[in-house]
Parts: sequence; structure tokens; C-alpha cells
Amino acid sequence: MEISCLPISASHRAKLLSAGYTTLSSLSSVSPPQLSRDLNVALQEAVDILKVSSESCRVEVQDGAVEFCKGAQTAWDMLSEEQALRHISTGSGDLDSILGGGIHCKEVTEIGGVPGIGKTQLGIQLAINVQIPYDFGGLGGKAIYIDTEGSFMAERAYQIAEASILDTFDNFGCQLKEIPEKLKAESFLANIFYFRICSYTEQIALINYLDQFLVEHKDVKIVIIDSVTFHFRQDFDDLALRTRVLGGMSQKLMNLAKKFSLSVVLMNQVTTKFTEGSFHLTLALGDSWSHSCTNRVILYWNGNDRYAYLDKSPYLRPASVHFSVTGKGIRDATSQCKRVRMM
Amino acid sequence: MASIPPKPENPLHLHTTKLTLGCPILDSFLGGGIPCGSITELVGESSAGKTQLCLQLLLSSLLPPSLGGLSSPSLYIYSEPPFPLRRLLRLSLPSLPPRPLDHIFVRPAHSADDLLSLLSHLPDSLPVRLIIIDSIAALFRSEFDNTPRDLKSRSSLFFKIATKLKDRARKLGAAVVVTNHVVDVVEAECGGARCLWSSGRRVVPALGLAWSHCVNTRVFLTRSEGMVRSSNGEECEVRTRRMHVVFSPCSPERSCEFAIVGHGVLGVG
Repeated sequence: MEISCLPISASHRAKLLSAGYTTLSSLSSVSPPQLSRDLNVALQEAVDILKVSSESCRVEVQDGAVEFCKGAQTAWDMLSEEQALRHISTGSGDLDSILGGGIHCKEVTEIGGVPGIGKTQLGIQLAINVQIPYDFGGLGGKAIYIDTEGSFMAERAYQIAEASILDTFDNFGCQLKEIPEKLKAESFLANIFYFRICSYTEQIALINYLDQFLVEHKDVKIVIIDSVTFHFRQDFDDLALRTRVLGGMSQKLMNLAKKFSLSVVLMNQVTTKFTEGSFHLTLALGDSWSHSCTNRVILYWNGNDRYAYLDKSPYLRPASVHFSVTGKGIRDATSQCKRVRMM
Repeated sequence: MASIPPKPENPLHLHTTKLTLGCPILDSFLGGGIPCGSITELVGESSAGKTQLCLQLLLSSLLPPSLGGLSSPSLYIYSEPPFPLRRLLRLSLPSLPPRPLDHIFVRPAHSADDLLSLLSHLPDSLPVRLIIIDSIAALFRSEFDNTPRDLKSRSSLFFKIATKLKDRARKLGAAVVVTNHVVDVVEAECGGARCLWSSGRRVVPALGLAWSHCVNTRVFLTRSEGMVRSSNGEECEVRTRRMHVVFSPCSPERSCEFAIVGHGVLGVG
């Protein structure tokens, strides 16, 4: 039984999921004070949640033994499974390191920033890098790219694919006399399932359809939505409706990430918010949306330099790093020489 | 209601057609020309050259694809009457079809709602592959106060208009070009937008951060004046016009000098 079946309130469920508690077994060994810290709720609420979850766990079985229902694992199992899951490199070693190795599978990562900072470029880079073969340290997976703004340019994706393939070969110090078909830029482009979405209803319909699509295409390891925000900034006079729709959508995406062991990357826009007497830049879609993702990265300008700030993560501390967008794609800011990646 | 599952496309088959600006230097500066299927914004102060470039595009879209055109009529929506007919008549391009003016549809827009209604009612049978809005800023100038509620409804209109434009761009394979004005920057911080210098003023595009999210490509046209000592010792005034790519999905940030001459806009290489 998963968290989604627990008889608890929707906001508690969302907080549990975004804090990384997705199975009942993950709750079986956490103490109420720890849970209340992780979820940012009152101690009594944490106690209630744990009570509900332990009651749902107990199942009577023959021989009078109480057995935890199917789906429970030990923490050790989960750790080994996680270690077996690789991270998707962003192309910049510095950015990868503040992210703990790259973009994580089974998690939803939000990337926000002003126009022109490089969100789409990063999205395309991830759609390419997820395909780096397993033997070269990648995931060897395919990508789904959901374009809501029309900024995806195939020519640019081709340029990034070529550079990524060449850099991968260089990093491993190998020179192939003839590049096999599946390591050519054309194959990398063909492995991106591209959807162009023109309204919020299309967006929701597509996300609902993804479950079926992913069953048929189990090699997809990343779903990118660029941007998740665009169609939601109009037509919603009823903000409560928008919050519900967004909540349902983010729930579905989290479930997909877990179920298919892939990463979900959502690009978000920024807006100005008037708090404490002045205007601040903040991510769009409101406060309730901030619970919808496991990780959050904010891209920003510092003078003429691009920076990335890890704003939210279940286990990494906040950090900032300088990166750049080059003709080859996303790269470290200062590397003139190629970096050798040690596996 | 039986729903058809959405079908993914293969990026290998997604070639972006580009519309020539009528000058090879400017085309290469913009990564091939103005891309079809997305919104390109030309920002600049008055007389920076925005309208001139738009008029040039009206003609270049009539060229055959082999010369970088779209072989199609265009739609020019203007918000600051009158339509600059005389300037259009002075422009010329080689290899234009006969009677080019027959293929240019012109329509005024009086307000943001008027524009939205215009875009909603464009007949699908109208085969335009270039839509120009000159300018978007003028449509929002007087209608909205600076209250949070008005700013929100203004922002909602931006996204509605942008959605309709992108929809058309995608369905017709059209290039959409929108011109925008600039406003002065007073505070030390520019906020979300990168500011540029034009005619000695620090400026940012009008309509704010929300509108910035609605365009795919932003090209900033600036002017600057300076004194230069020429080879015979005389000081003369030099006016430079520059075109800057602020952001674009298919070209890096860079700038290039251009000039407006009698028959058109040309890049200076």
C-alpha cells in the first residue's frame, strides 16, 4: 500500500511525497519529532499520521503472524536500489556536484528562472544526456519533452547532441574509427518523444496519458515539461480551481516518477511578488505549488554570469554555482580543458 | 467522448523554417533569419528601426523559399495609426512577385481586447505566414492602472494573446513578429530584465516580466551617438545602430551593427 492510499488529508499527503516518504515502510522507522521536522507540521499531526500509517500496515496472515503488506522494503534495500540508480548529468560538472551527481530519478525537480537564463537549454541538454549509454556512465534511456512555449529548436538539439557525444568519447579517451548508428546525433534526436502542447487542457490530458505511454515505452528515463507554467497564467479566474488542478497534476507526476523510476523535470517561470513592502522575484504558480517538487533549482543572473542555486532538496544543502551556456550546451563556467569524469 | 491519444513527434523531422530579413549579415546574425513557429520580439526606442525592419519583412516573406522567403502573404496589425504606407513604397527587394502590395493584409487594433478578438476570428483559410504586431506596447498604454488587480488582468491578457499567436504560428507555420517599446530604468536593479543603453539612457523593454515570458526571441535595437575624430582631425558625430540578441532558442547573445538606408535595413559587417 502506498502513501496515496492512506486516509490522510491531501496537504499531508503532498508534504509526505515531497519530503521523500513514498512507501509505508519509509514511515515505519521514523520518530514523530523527526517526521514533524521533515514535514514542517505540528508534533500532534505527525503522531496522527504515523498512527494511521501503522494501522494500515497491519495485515492478518495465517499462523497468526502479522506481516507487512506487499511493497514494504527494508531501508537497506532502498539504499541499494538508489545507489543503482544513476544521475543524469547536466553537462556542467560543477552544477552536477551541487545536485549530488546530477538530476535524480524517482524525483521531481523544478527549475525556475527569468527568460533567457537557460531553462530550455538545460532541458534539451538533459534530454540528450539521459541517452548517454550505460557503458559511458549514463542511463542509456530515452526522453519525453513536453513543449508548451515553442522554444524547442531541433537544430539546437542536434548541436547539443553532437557536442555531448564527442565530449563523452573524449572523457573516456576512446577514439572510434566508425561511430555506430546508435551513437550518432540523429539517433539521439529520434529518441526524444516531443509533444507540443497548446492549452492547459491538452497539458492535463497528456499527463494523464503518460502512464499508458510509459508502460509501452519503459526505456524513457526523463520527462521534461518546458514550461509547466505557461498555460496556467491565464483563464483561471477561480484561483482555488487552479490550485486543485495544479495539485492533481503534480501528484500524477510524482507518482509517475516513482512508478517508472524516472526523473521529472519541470521548468517554471518567475513573477514579482509584493511582500514586506517591496517587490521580490519569486517562482510562479503560487505558494501551494512549492510543495509539489522534491528538488528546486533557481537559475539567475549575477551581472553577466549565469548561476544556479539549489533551493530545495531532501538531503543536500543549499549551494550556488556558476555555469555557462555555450555552443556545445550547458557547461562549466571556467573549463577550457575537458574534464575527465571518474566513474 | 472518445479521446485520441496524443502522438509524439520525432525532432529529426522538426525543421525550423527561417524568414530572411533581406540581408545576409542580419540573417546569419539571427541564426538564419526570423524563425517560424514562435514569437520574435523587436524592442527599441522610437525611431530605432523596428517598423522599418517589419516593413522589410513584409516584402521578404513574398520571396520564394529558395531566396529565404515564405511565398506567402502577410498580416500587419498596427496599433499606432496611420499605417506607414509611404515608407513601405520606398522599400524594394529584388525578385519580388508583381503587385506585392496585393499580398499584404493590413488591419488596425485599437486595444488589447480588440487584438485578442481579431486573432480569435482570423479565418483559417487566410494563408498568411507572417503576422506582425506593431506595436504591442501601445495597446496596453492607457488602459491599466498600477494596482495589483489591474497588473494581474493585464498579465493574463499577455498570456492569452501570446497563446493565440503561438497557436497560429504553429498551425500555419508562420513567423510572428511583435514590436515593443522601452521604458527607462530608474533603480539600480533592473529586476528580471537585462537592461541596455540606447541614446544615453538605461532602458528595459516595456510591459514587464510577465510579457518577457511570452516571447521566444528578444532582439533589442539600440542607438548611440558619439563624437569621433576623423582622419583629417575633424570631429564628427557618428550615429551607430546596433541589434542585440538578448535571448533566443537558436542563437547566442551577441550584437551586430546595422544601418537604415533608403531602400532598406542592412547589416554592417
